[in-house]
Amino acid sequence: MFIYTDNERVVEAYVGEYASGKSEMAINRALELSSQGRRVTLVDLDTVEPFYTLRPLKEFLEGLGLNLISFSTEDAFGLGETGAMLNPRARWALYNEGDIILDIGYGVYGAQALNLVEGASESKELQILAVINSTRPMTNSQERIAEYLQELGHVDAIIANTHLGDETTLEIIMEGNEEIIAVAKRLNIPVAFIAAEEKFAAQLIELNTDIPVKFIKRYMPAAMW
Amino acid sequence: MITPAVPKSWYLPSKPHKFCPGCGHGIVLKALGETIDELEIQDKTIFGCDIGCSLLSWDFFACDSTQTHHGRTTPVMVGIKRARPELITIGYMGDGGGYSIGSQHLLNAAVRNENVTLILVNNTNYGMTGGQMAPTTLPGQKTETTPYGRDPELTGYPTRGPEFLTELTPEGAYIARATVSKYKQLRRFLRNALRNQMEGNGFSFVEVLSTCPTNWRTNAQQTWRFLEDEMEPYFPVGELKSPFGKGGDK
Amino acid sequence: MQANVKVVGDTKKSFLTGNEAVTWAALAAGAEMMFGYPITPQNEVMHYWTRLAPKYGRGFLQTEDEISAGFTVCGAVQAGTKAFTATAGPGNVLMQEPFGMAEAMRLPLFAVIQQRGGPSSGTVIYSQQEVALTTYGGNGEGHRIVYSTATHQEIYDYTIKGFNTAWKYRFPTFLLGDGYQAKMREPLEMYDPEERGIEIVPTYPLLGLEGHIGENREPQHLCNIYSLEEELYDVVLRFAEEYEKISPELIEYKENQCDDADIIILSHGVVSRAADDAVKALRAQGIKAGSFRPITLRPFPQAQLREAIAKSGAKKMLIAESAYGQLDRLTKQEIYGETIKIENLFKPGVGIIDYDIINKIKSML
Repeated sequence: MFIYTDNERVVEAYVGEYASGKSEMAINRALELSSQGRRVTLVDLDTVEPFYTLRPLKEFLEGLGLNLISFSTEDAFGLGETGAMLNPRARWALYNEGDIILDIGYGVYGAQALNLVEGASESKELQILAVINSTRPMTNSQERIAEYLQELGHVDAIIANTHLGDETTLEIIMEGNEEIIAVAKRLNIPVAFIAAEEKFAAQLIELNTDIPVKFIKRYMPAAMW
Repeated sequence: MITPAVPKSWYLPSKPHKFCPGCGHGIVLKALGETIDELEIQDKTIFGCDIGCSLLSWDFFACDSTQTHHGRTTPVMVGIKRARPELITIGYMGDGGGYSIGSQHLLNAAVRNENVTLILVNNTNYGMTGGQMAPTTLPGQKTETTPYGRDPELTGYPTRGPEFLTELTPEGAYIARATVSKYKQLRRFLRNALRNQMEGNGFSFVEVLSTCPTNWRTNAQQTWRFLEDEMEPYFPVGELKSPFGKGGDK
Repeated sequence: MQANVKVVGDTKKSFLTGNEAVTWAALAAGAEMMFGYPITPQNEVMHYWTRLAPKYGRGFLQTEDEISAGFTVCGAVQAGTKAFTATAGPGNVLMQEPFGMAEAMRLPLFAVIQQRGGPSSGTVIYSQQEVALTTYGGNGEGHRIVYSTATHQEIYDYTIKGFNTAWKYRFPTFLLGDGYQAKMREPLEMYDPEERGIEIVPTYPLLGLEGHIGENREPQHLCNIYSLEEELYDVVLRFAEEYEKISPELIEYKENQCDDADIIILSHGVVSRAADDAVKALRAQGIKAGSFRPITLRPFPQAQLREAIAKSGAKKMLIAESAYGQLDRLTKQEIYGETIKIENLFKPGVGIIDYDIINKIKSML
């Protein structure tokens, strides 16, 4: 979907409902870019639960070579209340060199959370990707997906990421994503890819859809949520 | 024997009522009963009473009634009204329940313009617990917890509830202060406060200056003198905010 | 309005957080009003309720504090409306006052508690430290019904059941979850209760009744305060008798391989998942472990636990909890007289995983 030349940098924001898989998509994307030898900063922009999301994974991901902007366990110790707050480094995230992957937390303002990032509104590089899981009750029908996308604001592309955690089956992936793709077509929003856990690779490759399938690893179970 | 006329909405098995001789509650509740009769709302009135002397009115009316906790009558009435807007909710409380322990509820219900009617009886002390200082105790007034008289330097000045509620409420609210010494006016204010709820205009509040001879340790003459000469100058009586216009009547 | 409106539609598996599961289940159960005040980790119950409520004609009020949230629920249920609230930690402390009123006036109040760390403001994250408060808080006798859930499916099921229990028996009813369950994502099956043959217990008003006072009905005068010791005594004894009578119908528990266990792991809520995993691992290593989990912490499955101890002949029991002995004390008072040796794994405000339990069990052998 998005092809970048070496001297072009990747700036992508992943938005979505709770449990849509946006953090997982962001991590996978960041590691994918980093494995190509690119310099990547992964930014946790979850203002609702900054101490729940990427914090438990911070050290692990840094070990894999990512530059992480998120609160660490040490940051949280002695901070007092760990509630909704914005990491000051996240505000200036776009000023980092190299690729930037933003993991945007849920909230009624949706993609507007990007207003918190300095330079985001003027950025020509920024691509906003909506991660949709059609097993989520708020996005479990074509009607609801369309309603949700309209509330979200501008998005450049959709990632069809239907899954049920450990209970995902090929059927769930196929049926759920069909709904998403249909809505995307209707609203004229491109579908960047269908995401699926790598264990489904063999089965999915045979399907030969016109939308690319991307196989991902699940890192978030280690973060507990 | 002459039987005095009692409001139809009074609950006769609970009469004679339980208040002390000379207490103002009986006058307020008589005025309220007559108003309920006049507006024909007995069947849909929910009367909620606070803890303290106001609790003695829990079975005063032949209306559906509920006891709450000290200071919590306001949220209980709000819950009932939000659940069943067709009901007429009347919260009945003292100065301690309304202005002290329940002040956050009173203030926020006013700000939200909750469509309930609250009646707060101000007798300048905590009666039921034995005459301690209330938010409304006058400067210099002796109570069991201000044995040398209330010192505003130590405990602040008496709370003027209707005044602050007037500031907090939007248009549509009805705020008044009545006194048991002016019965017709009290009736008019209560009528306006209930009409205001019936019309759905919003928050309605009547503070009523009342008497507490038991804890004031006053005879009849002294009681009346304290009400008219001490309380009324400090707590001006009248309508502070009314959708029906100044001195308006419905 | 009742639950005749289909909220869920076709039953299918969904991927949710625990807080969302509460909201959907409350909608499916026909809850009409939520009163709430923000406190982590229950906020998303309100977030999703306020997003969804208008679509299904339900109401919401954000009150000035938890005291008010609890009392507005008390008022709404008196008026015959299916209302609820959700809170945690210091909010649960403040709500003990309205919860006490619900106990005293036998109000069908339903509340969701997502435990956070304590004492005081503690952490916003997780604990099992609100067991004592939720079961026996307030100046009463703990005449409450408390369901401690372990999975999102249970959060959904017991939210529906909780409303029914509250309205059927009129004892305040609680769903005791925790911050982990609130925030975790897990698949669960959402359904409309009727689809499962679950009958929704109808609501009815205690105040604001139909008819004309003095003509065809009497006025209602509801009480929670009494003049004399004897009056209150009679009331409390009557409540105690009724509570004890219905307890056998209410008690729920899960027992896992206790029949031949040498050692029993006792835990509740999310920790019981670790206990079950530990049993599996220990059994694989030839250690005869079993687990017992009270689902209702009030009323407590004391006879069933005694029976599990008796039939297994287990000599040891491990009580594991993310608190410093709240389940331990509750259990000991319930099974007074048992001679089984009890050891503890207390991790106040911290999660317990199977590995912690396995290590502890091995140290006990």
